Amino acid sequence: MLIDTNVNLGSWPFNLTPARTAAQLAKHLAASGIERALVSHFDTAFQPDPMPANRTLLAAVKRTPALRPVPVINLRLANWAEQLAECVAAKVSAVKLLPNFHNYTLRAPAVRLFMDALSATPLRLILNIRFEDERHRYFAFNVQGVPMADVKAFLKKFPQHHVLLTGIYRPEIKDLAKTRKNFSADLAYCEWRDTVKDLLTALPASRLMLGTCTPMLATRGQVDKLRLASIPAKSKALIASGNAVKFFRL
Amino acid sequence: MRIIDVHTHPIFLGQGRKESEIRRLVAHGRSHGVERMVALGDVLNYGARPDEAQLVAINNETGHLQQLHPDYFIGFCYLNPLLGETAVRREVERCVTQFGSKGIKLEIANNASAACMGAVMKAAREFGLVVLQHTWSSTNFPASMKDHSDPDDTAQLARRHPDVNIIMAHLVGVGFRGVLAAKGLPNLFVDTSGAFPEDGLVAYAVEHLGEDRVLYGTDLPIRESSVKIGAVLDAKISARAKQKIFFDNTARLLNLT
Repeated sequence: MLIDTNVNLGSWPFNLTPARTAAQLAKHLAASGIERALVSHFDTAFQPDPMPANRTLLAAVKRTPALRPVPVINLRLANWAEQLAECVAAKVSAVKLLPNFHNYTLRAPAVRLFMDALSATPLRLILNIRFEDERHRYFAFNVQGVPMADVKAFLKKFPQHHVLLTGIYRPEIKDLAKTRKNFSADLAYCEWRDTVKDLLTALPASRLMLGTCTPMLATRGQVDKLRLASIPAKSKALIASGNAVKFFRL
Repeated sequence: MRIIDVHTHPIFLGQGRKESEIRRLVAHGRSHGVERMVALGDVLNYGARPDEAQLVAINNETGHLQQLHPDYFIGFCYLNPLLGETAVRREVERCVTQFGSKGIKLEIANNASAACMGAVMKAAREFGLVVLQHTWSSTNFPASMKDHSDPDDTAQLARRHPDVNIIMAHLVGVGFRGVLAAKGLPNLFVDTSGAFPEDGLVAYAVEHLGEDRVLYGTDLPIRESSVKIGAVLDAKISARAKQKIFFDNTARLLNLT
């Protein structure tokens, strides 16, 4: 079974990604063997309040059980606690942060308050480092990946929280893995010859998860990165779905 | 599906020289259905502007790969155009006569629009070689990276030398703008190598350039064969177009039997 931990509904405004309905997205993922996916909505990155897009997401996936919604919380907004409460009420498995899109850093005071509040919920946390390779961003759009120094300090400050980092580069994972154990990473923005085997030299299979960054990246190639990796079958099964099942309590 | 990878660096920053590593690379390629690989050399091992002796060392390594696995590796001759016409021609002649090089590889010694490219194109014409030019959209590059060729620069090179076939490397790096820059230039091809597999680009390239001018390439070891193959297989294009991209176009371009 394949569970994709990094998927978005909607369109990215600076490329030609197709806008799919939830059913179309599920069908597209299934064509590459993905049976379940954790899905957020691109509009949460750009709109002044993420909740309308979160609600659109929740409604869209209601009749598509293959897609599990992951709402985005904007900690720069005064009502982030209300946003969190709405997510808890919606019985989702996880929430996501996009600090680089929402104009705050992981060192902001609201982050500590949020992490304390999160501790009182059953929700898991996904921290998205990037949606795209910054070299190819639209010329008038200057959002960079979340700084690794901030991520390192964040993981150190909250050792009791295990966080999934999505959209993180392979060298960033390797560097982070030297000092921090309280994170897992998805594979979407990692690439090298035999990527997964290479990553396993830095961290165990129990801390990697399949992530394709669909629809930004071509889904099948992202899946084949894991499917054709020359690693033990047991490790492959963990990365393909086992870790996600356990982490997100699916 | 038969596959030729037109863009690889079997030896990269000094790594991969051992015969056991080379054997592993060949096995890795074959396990993904890759019948042949074009070896472009360890192009950044001595920085952006290698001298003559360094070029000889790099090209000898490529020649060694070809000698070890003549049925697998196809060599391109790596050049620094700034070394001038005499040095350029001497190295091209050496690579062709000693190793049977099928093309010329250019990196970031100079911009593709620079005057020194005249000597390279002259040598390519004389020896019947294809020129593969590293290209990346310079939109977000600082001015200090002016020697990196933008797709507009590589397109200009192709326009100036319509009798030489040129491969503009890195489809994702040149992006949608790069595809449009290559439009209408029948001697300009684009390879799929480099960067993460942005969805929709392969189909966009086929839509605008036709199915005969897109070539499969990875940029190994920086990139992964399975990801690049999957990006082509995933593209909304015909099975015939995929076969052309994976194999036929490069076989025809390099006169492979």
